[in-house]
Amino acid sequence: MIKALFSILVFPGLIFVGVLSFFAEFADRKLHARLQNRIGPPWFQPFADFIKLVAKEEIIPKEANSTIFQIAPVFALASVITAFLYIPLWDTRALFSFDGDVIVVLYLLTLPTMAIFIGGWYSTSLFARIGSVRAITQLFAYEIPLFMGILSAALLADTWSLYGITVFYNNHPLFWLSNIIGFFVSLIALMGKLEKVPFDAPEAETEIVAGSFTEYSGRFLALFRLTLDIEMVAGASLLAAVFLPVGLNLPLFARFTIYLAEVLFIVGLIALLRTIFARLRIDQMIRFCWKYMVPLGFIQLLINLVLKGILSR
Amino acid sequence: MDIRRKILTWARIKSPWIIHFNTGACNACDIEIIAALTPRYDLERFGVQLKGAPRHADILVCSGPVTRQIECRLERIYEQMAEPKFVIAVGTCACSGGVFNGCYNIKGGINSVIPVSAYIPGCPASPKAIIDGAVKLLASLKK
Repeated sequence: MIKALFSILVFPGLIFVGVLSFFAEFADRKLHARLQNRIGPPWFQPFADFIKLVAKEEIIPKEANSTIFQIAPVFALASVITAFLYIPLWDTRALFSFDGDVIVVLYLLTLPTMAIFIGGWYSTSLFARIGSVRAITQLFAYEIPLFMGILSAALLADTWSLYGITVFYNNHPLFWLSNIIGFFVSLIALMGKLEKVPFDAPEAETEIVAGSFTEYSGRFLALFRLTLDIEMVAGASLLAAVFLPVGLNLPLFARFTIYLAEVLFIVGLIALLRTIFARLRIDQMIRFCWKYMVPLGFIQLLINLVLKGILSR
Repeated sequence: MDIRRKILTWARIKSPWIIHFNTGACNACDIEIIAALTPRYDLERFGVQLKGAPRHADILVCSGPVTRQIECRLERIYEQMAEPKFVIAVGTCACSGGVFNGCYNIKGGINSVIPVSAYIPGCPASPKAIIDGAVKLLASLKK
């Protein structure tokens, strides 16, 4: 009982993932700055931002539905942390696992977007409403390539549990190469999920103020920012667990280092892509996802189906 | 000062988010404010971020004399910001009304409408002066 509580709240639960996500945000912002030939923020920047926001006054608009307005950030945060507990990190087995958890993790990672939508919608600001509708429109575009990418890897491993996937790819490291399209499709879809720059139409600050977060201030905004940071770490861990399960037979310290390196690698790729590209309009984003990402996902599915047919002979 | 206050003050000094509002300036000060935010000066190394929403920002950076038309908007934006909040007046016009003082359509400096924490004179104020003013404002938080 106490051990389970400790794992949920401290390690590798809330506190560990919170600190890790702050460092991931720092790495993201620092790399972004260095790629733009700037110096960038110091390492404690996300901590300072978080503490400052928590201590600020929180304003609830008179028009808003105050219950939903306050619950939405907590709901988003709870769902990403729950998703994180089901992802195998530096071990083949996650803290909790069962058959079919890959689907549960994917859906738990969808919930923050729903919470952002609901919170933005019920804050009754026009900008927030436009942002929320864009967030939910975008969801339908990137969610399917993400599912295709990750589930086709699961298809080759012939299992619906993340435990089975990591064990399979750890035993057959060369199959990593067959999933390379899926990896990039999932990575780009993950950027849509995190509302990073090419896909940041929902919170485009130059056109619709701050999107869904327009009316949020103080600790609710802090919780939403923490949610997005943890979602970045959880998404990176999920991609690392499914697509890059290397060296899981090594001693614990080496596995832990490899895990951190993989997360840093994926965060670095996200920072690189968001530096290179400018924001897509929402219709361009939808068109891009359905025209290029979904066919690529289909190709990945086809490759894995053929490969599986050959293997099962 | 106990440890909790110390951490809070540290966080506030290290993470000032600004929002820029033109209260009727000729655009010269606005260009200088934008120049201060470019990679050449890189204010993100001090934690400064430009925010679009007044709800997220800590510091309201105003430029220009307050025209009678913008007066109620300035008040509303100030009211929308969450406590603790500060106001910086950038440029001579924002400090006192400048050459426009006494015009029929001008109310005066920023401080004739809302309380101002820091004044940065100059026509236009240079980016270095703006950064210096912001740093002095943040240093005054320590006391």
